[in-house]
Amino acid sequence: MTVLTISVPRINDQLSDFSTLASIWRQVMDAGDGAEVHFDFSRCDFLRPNAVVFLGGLARLMQQRGGVPRFLSGTMQNWVRTNLLQNGFAAAMGENVSSWSGNSIPFREDPWEDKTAIVDGYLKPLWLGKGWVNVSRLLTNAISGQMWEIYANAFGHGESPVGALSCGQYFPKRHELVLAVADFGVGIPSNARLHGNPNFTGKEAMEWAFYPGTTSIPHSTGTPRGMGLDLLREFIRVSQGVLAIYSHDGYARIDGSGEIYQNLPAFFEGTLVQVTLRCDDTYYSLSNEVDSAPYF
Amino acid sequence: MQHIAVKELVGENAMTLDDGEAIFNQIHDPLARGETVELDFDGVEIFASPFFNAGIGRLLADFQPDILNSHLIFQHMSALGDRVLRRVIENAKEYYAAPTEQRQAIDRIVHDNAVAA
Repeated sequence: MTVLTISVPRINDQLSDFSTLASIWRQVMDAGDGAEVHFDFSRCDFLRPNAVVFLGGLARLMQQRGGVPRFLSGTMQNWVRTNLLQNGFAAAMGENVSSWSGNSIPFREDPWEDKTAIVDGYLKPLWLGKGWVNVSRLLTNAISGQMWEIYANAFGHGESPVGALSCGQYFPKRHELVLAVADFGVGIPSNARLHGNPNFTGKEAMEWAFYPGTTSIPHSTGTPRGMGLDLLREFIRVSQGVLAIYSHDGYARIDGSGEIYQNLPAFFEGTLVQVTLRCDDTYYSLSNEVDSAPYF
Repeated sequence: MQHIAVKELVGENAMTLDDGEAIFNQIHDPLARGETVELDFDGVEIFASPFFNAGIGRLLADFQPDILNSHLIFQHMSALGDRVLRRVIENAKEYYAAPTEQRQAIDRIVHDNAVAA
């Protein structure tokens, strides 16, 4: 059996950090099915939730292919070790330890679409319902509905062999509430190339996926689909949050100041989404106006 | 007039394609018979586009917009649900406005892709 050791450095949430994750994915893929991979954290002093969901999903992908992932806890610095214990990642990866709440939104794996478990058991109580952001019950429901669009993309379009993985963190000093969701499916650019233009670059594919009216991805039974990313973009812009999506060779970042779409220099087979909400005096609101025009 | 309580069919969260399919199956035939259908969203708290795509957007394959405007009534819809629904309808109208051959080609590619995956 091939045994490979991969050094995991500090991983934040910038483009360069994504390249690091993509590089880890590439090393694991190159090791082949059935490989044993040791993840060494001695160079790592910080892991954002995007790295946690990525590594968790990668571990499950390896296991599905007969591989053995080992996260070397003895190499972890205190902050990293505490974080992975607290959010339940260590327990999920087989350690006989318990998690606790703290500032973490727990590491969660959803092999299939379960709206009640994800929305009522996770997003509402553990992400939005802990008092880190000031949102009314109505707005909690509205944000949960928007976040569901990410899961719907993972389960519906993504064809992810490991489903969707989620994890988050409240950063009190930064006044940020972060939620990351990863899948290892066909990705947004692949879908955009199928339904838009096969010659799309990663940048063009991401732009297309966010453009209203062009995300018409039909179901095999002829159901029009799409719209989710466009609606999510609208919410993020209004709420001054940040939405970052890395998918195959495309990158999109939406925030209150604008939108950035780029080609990614490093490729990975899946989609990594990170949503950041502000926890300061941000006024979260959505229009309550109901349009009186005919629907159709 | 048919009155359908959405919450009884899909619960408080109207989000998935399956949820939408359940609604579609309840309203399609009455609409085809020329009946008026009242979709009551009382107690439904969360809305997402897959639900509306499968439940409402699909109706545009079989019915003209003016028929739906006059025979399908939405009650107790939240402001956000209203916005999501309107965007989905806009999207569905574009989809069904595309030539049949183009839609069939897209559907075939999606199906083949899903099978290959």
